[in-house]
Amino acid sequence: MGELMQYLITGLTIGSMYAIVALGFVTIYSVTKVINLAQGEFVMLGGMIMFSFTKAGVPYIFSFFLTILTVIIIGFLIEATIIRKAKNADPLSLIILTIGAAIFIRGIASMFWGKDPVKIAPFLANNEPISIFGASITPQSIWVMVFMLAIVAILYILMEKTMIGKAFRACSANPLAARLMAISPKKMSAFSFAFSAGLGAIAGLVIAPILFPAYDMGIMLGIKGFSASILGGLGSAPGAVIGGILLGLIESFGAGYISSGMKDAIAFGAVLLLLLIRPFGILGEKNVGKGGL
Amino acid sequence: MKRQGVQRVNWIGVLVFALFICVLPFLFSKSFYITKATFAGLYTIVAVGLGLLMGFAGQISLGQAAFYGVGAYSTAVLSTTYGINPWLSLLVSLLVPALVAYIMGQTMARLHGYYLAMATLAFGIVIHVLLVEWKSVTKGASGLYGVPKIEIFGFAFKQGLSYYYLVWTFALIVIIISLNIIHSRIGRALRSIHDSEIASSAMGVDTGKYKMQVFIISAMFAGLAGWLFAHMSYSISPTSFGLNHSILFLTMVVLGGATSVWGAVFGAFLISLINILVHTLGSHISFITSDFEHVLYGLILMLVVIFLPRGVFPSLVSLLKSYDYKGKKKKEKGQVEAVKGEHHV
Repeated sequence: MGELMQYLITGLTIGSMYAIVALGFVTIYSVTKVINLAQGEFVMLGGMIMFSFTKAGVPYIFSFFLTILTVIIIGFLIEATIIRKAKNADPLSLIILTIGAAIFIRGIASMFWGKDPVKIAPFLANNEPISIFGASITPQSIWVMVFMLAIVAILYILMEKTMIGKAFRACSANPLAARLMAISPKKMSAFSFAFSAGLGAIAGLVIAPILFPAYDMGIMLGIKGFSASILGGLGSAPGAVIGGILLGLIESFGAGYISSGMKDAIAFGAVLLLLLIRPFGILGEKNVGKGGL
Repeated sequence: MKRQGVQRVNWIGVLVFALFICVLPFLFSKSFYITKATFAGLYTIVAVGLGLLMGFAGQISLGQAAFYGVGAYSTAVLSTTYGINPWLSLLVSLLVPALVAYIMGQTMARLHGYYLAMATLAFGIVIHVLLVEWKSVTKGASGLYGVPKIEIFGFAFKQGLSYYYLVWTFALIVIIISLNIIHSRIGRALRSIHDSEIASSAMGVDTGKYKMQVFIISAMFAGLAGWLFAHMSYSISPTSFGLNHSILFLTMVVLGGATSVWGAVFGAFLISLINILVHTLGSHISFITSDFEHVLYGLILMLVVIFLPRGVFPSLVSLLKSYDYKGKKKKEKGQVEAVKGEHHV
């Protein structure tokens, strides 16, 4: 029972991480139809920049917000310099473009921060594990889940209740019609990149104390986030959350009951199988036409 | 402009290239360059296959290194653990990737765009994890060692010049096969699929069959390169067959140009050149390291997609042709009129 509970908690924690990353994918995809494979690098930048700020002596809470701001600016710059230039390219080229951006950022990061993982303090000074039903959970893991839920709530309010959300959905449904209604798809595209860069940074910040970020952490997290969003059905925010949690659980139970070395193979094998049964993901693309998210 | 019913392979081009390959090792003497040129041949074999898949069938593969690895491990396991002759295991190195591609193709046939990209990515990672974890066969992360050299009539192909020629002989065969494919009925069907899958299936092209065939061919080419790689190096380990290599192959194809066989060859050469350049500069300037090489690859990928979406080679060719075009402009105009005249009659 304790074992099962432990795998469940671990699965929910990493699943929440993947869900936050996947929400970043979905935010960009639903506005611009671009899959940004550099999303994982935003997560990495979140962790690494936080490390640099706290090391420079900036107070924890200020470093937190400064990091998010910095990564948002980087996301905005990537959209303005790279994505906008190739906006009319086909999906294949866009994938390659964002892979290029990811390799570029990763290379710069390894030259700047070196190859060793860095250590970041948890949110609460006291990070002693709490025992629940015989399983232990650290407060930082609870923070990951809290942040995931908060992000889902904020995304929901932003998309459904505000003008900006309406503009987002309008651009997604029909960019030309949106322009006729005085919404600039260009601005919305830039905004979506900045926004999902911010989401990535938050993901990086909350998981940094658990994962010890290194320059290459973005690859796997990016791919897992991508597969979570594909698993849930591209363009669907609830799908991204379901996909992320599901992937986390498969990975955790696979590692626990089968083999820890095989956990990635089990997770991706499951993705392949699920795609075979549902080629358009769990929640499909039915939301995309209506404006995604 | 002479129009032919069936486009033929430009044999003069193949011949010129073969001559270039023959004299290339004599332009420099360091064994380092010969090794790099041998790798360029290996990469050419994989890149040409991937180019067929991307440029002609319009399918992306982010897991091509997996087939390369399956080919390499098939022969390494057979020839080291079971002592089977490398020439016999060549068949296995071709057939196992083909079989894996067939099974994967059945799955992936239902997927498009980003979903397909994800599936190939996942496939590549699964294979890589299997290479590391299936310890009883693959010997885990440390890999297999003692892979025997390829022999023919008692002559062993060791590293260096003899292996360079062996690899490039296979590479030339692969290039010729690929040129034949794209100039055949399959090639025309593939190009129509690339332009519009719906339209070509409406015209009666069995799109699924052709896409599957190309997927299998590209997997077999990667398997062949894996076979050559395994017998070139004394030992192999899973690190040579991970995501980084899949992306490296992708970079070659995108850089050179996916819509032409020569583009992939060109891309493989360019990447090898960049590798040599970074290596040589790196020994003089401390700033330039292997990390810098990755920064460079990333930059190249982005710049090529933005400014030369068709790749360097096709862009170069059309640039050369446009110079030629100015001289022949009048003649062509006359021909167009003649055709028009015919039409009226």
